[in-house]
Amino acid sequence: MSDHDHHDHPLEMQDAGSQALAEALRSSFVIVKIAMAALLVLIFAAGFFTVGPQEKAVILRFGKPQGEGQQMLLGAGLHWSLPYPIDEVIRIPITEIQKVTSTVGWYATTPEMELAGTEPPPGPSLNPQMDGYVVTADRNIIHTRATVSYHIDDPRTAIFNFASGTNQQFTLAGVSNAVQNAVNEAIIFSAARFNVDDILTRDHAGFQEAVQQRVTDLAEREQLGVAIDRVEVTDTIPPRQLKDVFDQVTIARQNRDRLLNVALSKQNQILSEAGASAASITNAAESARTRYVTAIASDATAFTELLPKYTGNPNLFAQLELAKAMTQILTNVQDKIFLPQRADGKPRELRLQLNREPPQPKSAANP
Amino acid sequence: MKKNLITIVIAAVLVVIFALLLFTFQVRQSEVAVLTTFGKPAANNIDQPNLYFKWPWPIQQVYRFDQRVQNFEDKYSENYTTNGDIILTSVYVGWRISDAKEFFPKFAGGSVEAAQRQLETMLRSAKAAVIGKHSLSDLVNSDPKQLKFEAIEDEIKTAVQNQLASQNYGISIEFLGIKKLGLPESVTQAVFDRMKSERQKYISEAQFQGEAEATRIRSAAERQAADVIANAQADATRIEGQGVAEAAKTLSVFQQNPELAIFQLQLQALKDSLNQKSTLIFDERTPPFSLFQNLPANSSTK
Repeated sequence: MSDHDHHDHPLEMQDAGSQALAEALRSSFVIVKIAMAALLVLIFAAGFFTVGPQEKAVILRFGKPQGEGQQMLLGAGLHWSLPYPIDEVIRIPITEIQKVTSTVGWYATTPEMELAGTEPPPGPSLNPQMDGYVVTADRNIIHTRATVSYHIDDPRTAIFNFASGTNQQFTLAGVSNAVQNAVNEAIIFSAARFNVDDILTRDHAGFQEAVQQRVTDLAEREQLGVAIDRVEVTDTIPPRQLKDVFDQVTIARQNRDRLLNVALSKQNQILSEAGASAASITNAAESARTRYVTAIASDATAFTELLPKYTGNPNLFAQLELAKAMTQILTNVQDKIFLPQRADGKPRELRLQLNREPPQPKSAANP
Repeated sequence: MKKNLITIVIAAVLVVIFALLLFTFQVRQSEVAVLTTFGKPAANNIDQPNLYFKWPWPIQQVYRFDQRVQNFEDKYSENYTTNGDIILTSVYVGWRISDAKEFFPKFAGGSVEAAQRQLETMLRSAKAAVIGKHSLSDLVNSDPKQLKFEAIEDEIKTAVQNQLASQNYGISIEFLGIKKLGLPESVTQAVFDRMKSERQKYISEAQFQGEAEATRIRSAAERQAADVIANAQADATRIEGQGVAEAAKTLSVFQQNPELAIFQLQLQALKDSLNQKSTLIFDERTPPFSLFQNLPANSSTK
């Protein structure tokens, strides 16, 4: 019937059939349209991605990083990219300041041991496979380590130019490894130019300066795409096997300095004392001079006054003066011994005991 | 008509996407690609990141390689210096695939590990050759003019580069540095002994220096002090001399009557000498006791 019907009323039937089909198609196209619209929205929405605080993201469009210099790195927040495979978002774990520590200059120990404050006991020699050290210019052996702080200066180089292992991940491990080797080279190279005492004590700052300079030079020469902020030589020690004898040198040098300081203060004391006595000698001389001159002057004045009296009667004057003087003398003299003339006119025999004892003045005289 | 248009558009989009997948490929930053046509590599490496066209497999095929700098460190190994000393060195090498089309036929599957094994062999011979030409004092020296540390690094690098270039491995050395430098274990003990005796020398040196220098400072101070005192005494003598000279001007006064002057001086001297704590022994002839002579003596002599 249907065949017949179709053939009989082709137009009518077609109209009805196509109408139904058109109806069905229309409604299904609406669904498809909605689905496509939804798909577009989904694709658009899928382009959003967030970046955490401890990472940065780079958008590769057809494999090529978007943005130049620091702008290449997308910071924390919400971002949008075109769908894969046009755009590819790669995330790089990265902090503002990167740090690496040298690995070659230190004896065998582990971070756990260092935290616990224990370390393997030093053997009689250093095993090259385990113990790190550097050789100084005067062929001494010391331990040292340095820490480098750096930041990414050129992301294109630092991130995309250094392989980290053999995988295709993008991390900073590759460039970090290169910086670490640079600081390893730098401590060996710098130690090779400095004598042991310069590194340990006399010119530690110079050594640190040299290491920093070397790391900076290498980072530039090897085009690592990083800027070196600071290199700190955190530790420099003599071999633990020789700690005692190195300490003794320090003590001996401190003793020497102490002796020198004592000597210097003694020097000051001697010189200032000498200065003081010199001043007192010259002062005494000055005052002696003044006294002498004044005395002579006053004598002269007295003489001038006495001269007319003396010229009047020299003998009388002399007697008077002598008598006056005797009065004064006899007042002052402690012991006065009067020896009258013997009746027979012979001279008396007088015995004087010299160096007499001071408290026995009477025994001196012969009555 | 309308439905056909939509179908065509959808079909076209699908075809385009499929064609893109078949006929294009991307090269990422950090990658280098080699395009082969029926297995034959193209003349140029594709080393810039972008979208590229290719004929679909099996006509053309893409091989990708990492063109980043690879870090390689050789084993810490012993070498003889020109003086017969043994030193241990380890170097780090930053190398990269510089010419992928040369590189990948030479190493199975373009393997980085295979390349590094090759590199290690080359480094071993390069190090032996270069270190054998130098002495330890070229590697460690306080005189910058004699230190050849960098020169040695450069020589090793050049030697490896020459070997790589002669065989056209498609590898370039970006940088090379000495990572570790050491001495054989038995030598470290000898170094310790030498360091110890050196330290002991410093200890006795410091002791000696301290005492010697302290003595020197002290005796120098004493000598200087003696000089100061001597100068002061000389000054004092001069000053007193000046006083005498000054006083000499007044002497003319006394010349008016030298007798009186001498008398005065004697009188003064007498007073000064018979000051306190002296004992005076006198008889009746000494004035003023001469007065006694005339009184009781007269009665006794009668």
